[in-house]
Amino acid sequence: MRKARPFELLFDIFNSILMFVVVLIMAYPFLYVFLYSISDPAHLKAGLMLWPEKITFNSYKVIFANPVIINGVYISIARSVIGTVSMLVVTAAAAYAISKKHLIGVRFLRVFFILTMYFSGGIIPAYLLVKSLGLTNNFLVYIIPNMVSVFNMILIRTYVESIPASLEESALMVGANELQIFLYIVIPMSTPVLAAVGLFTFVNQWNSFVDVQIYNFMKPDLYPLQYILFNYLMSQSQSIEQAKRTMNVTAISPQSLKTTITIITILPIFFIYPVLQKYFVSGLMVGSVKE
Amino acid sequence: MANVGSAVKSRNGVFRQMANQKYLIMLALPAFVLTLVFSYIPLAGWFIAFSDYQLGFSFFSGEWTGLKQFRLFFGETSDAFNIIRNTFAMNIMSLVGGLGIAFVFSLLIKEVASGKAKRLIQIITFFPYFMSWVILYSVIYSLFSTSSGAINVFLVDIGILKEGLNILGDKKYSWTLIVLVNIWNTLGYNSVIFLASISNVPADLYEAASIDGAGRLQKAISITIPYMVPTLLVLFIMNSGWILNSGLDQYFVFTNPTNRPTMEVFDMYIYRYGIKLMNYSYATAVGIIKAIVSIVILYGVNMLSRRLSSRSII
Repeated sequence: MRKARPFELLFDIFNSILMFVVVLIMAYPFLYVFLYSISDPAHLKAGLMLWPEKITFNSYKVIFANPVIINGVYISIARSVIGTVSMLVVTAAAAYAISKKHLIGVRFLRVFFILTMYFSGGIIPAYLLVKSLGLTNNFLVYIIPNMVSVFNMILIRTYVESIPASLEESALMVGANELQIFLYIVIPMSTPVLAAVGLFTFVNQWNSFVDVQIYNFMKPDLYPLQYILFNYLMSQSQSIEQAKRTMNVTAISPQSLKTTITIITILPIFFIYPVLQKYFVSGLMVGSVKE
Repeated sequence: MANVGSAVKSRNGVFRQMANQKYLIMLALPAFVLTLVFSYIPLAGWFIAFSDYQLGFSFFSGEWTGLKQFRLFFGETSDAFNIIRNTFAMNIMSLVGGLGIAFVFSLLIKEVASGKAKRLIQIITFFPYFMSWVILYSVIYSLFSTSSGAINVFLVDIGILKEGLNILGDKKYSWTLIVLVNIWNTLGYNSVIFLASISNVPADLYEAASIDGAGRLQKAISITIPYMVPTLLVLFIMNSGWILNSGLDQYFVFTNPTNRPTMEVFDMYIYRYGIKLMNYSYATAVGIIKAIVSIVILYGVNMLSRRLSSRSII
């Protein structure tokens, strides 16, 4: 055994304390919001806490009895699920097509897609276009403009190119066409990359709120959870009276409601987070291999 | 005659090839059309920056006004100066601070003896990265709102502050707020990349150093850090190319009328003038300026990157 040097021992102690502090800074803000949401507002003192004050799930009951929130949950789920599936279908199909070197015009197509990562027309022309297509005040604005993700297309293409060519060749020999190969060979073989890319798209869709503000703010029926929370946070000096009126509640403080909606909005991400974190590390690797 | 013949033949060849590849073309077509519509057609919208555009008419129907909107942006107010300064200051400081702290943090994680603790620390530090800016704002508001934020109340209670700091509203805290929040948000993400580069260090290098009697500090300085520096450079270069496109979401939640002079960045300004005030021509002109600056930066960074690391980011 190596002789412990006093300097290194001191360093280990210092390092452990530092790591603890970092973890605290990362986790405590979320813990605080959670503790607040399950505390009884009547017993709450302002200030830091490590333990809930008189645990109650009243604010959760109130929130889940609210039709506005329930509708928001539906919209959030719908945009995340439909948005993810449609992105996967469109983007993976194109990724497979541009992985074929013999495809007519493939070099043009690759540049055509990749260029869009480096410029955009900007917020206003995009807004005017979406408006003229009749996609404002429309659920489809969450879906259609997000169906193509060039970044994901590159990740999927890199993966597809690593599938042994002999598999496809033997399928061609027995008379399969490229559509069948895509459906029955490429998709099943690419599940790891499709799962990773799908998860991130799901998270992005779940987390979106700016597109709601720009395109759909006239349509409260189409507000996802994130945007309901955003609105609620932004209405400055939200008094209890206002809260009662807008959320139709009594005896619950606005801050309790805010923290509760926040926790509900975090929850789905929290549950898929372990998988997400694992995939992210491998996703990064896929990306850096390409680079 | 021979030329005509081969032209006809090759045209037939193209059609035959297209017919043979009809399934591949079918697979590429939806993405092609969507990209054309949502990424390329908006470029035609740049025309309205040079004309007197009216909502509901075509992009090209307005009267030509030349560079009037551009002159307005640079000449009439101090807006241009504020926007450019805010965008660069906050994004550069966030980038340098974020990468610097993650660099040191990764070195320190490496020194944690227990593998389980290492993994746990990584899992916890990565969490904020997956949260929306609405969630992050909500969490930060609960801790830092002036009168009821838990940390403000705590600091007043123990007598460090007389009254709570108005971190979210006062314009003198804008830059500090954004930089700290960004470091907090991206620490886990950046350290995953740094830790990957640390794991590339061949184990026998450390063994050889141990035999020579090197301590952990010496190993870190002469082995680990040199292995991490190329990654640091690549990350720095790649991220600085995107400095103007650092996300509308974040500034959407933190910008308010009281901190606007020091908080407003390009995209928020374009949003305010275009979508809110419906001054489409002016907002598009500002968008064009942003796009040009952004392409110049990307190009410059790419050249620098080629020279430094013989790696092109484009």
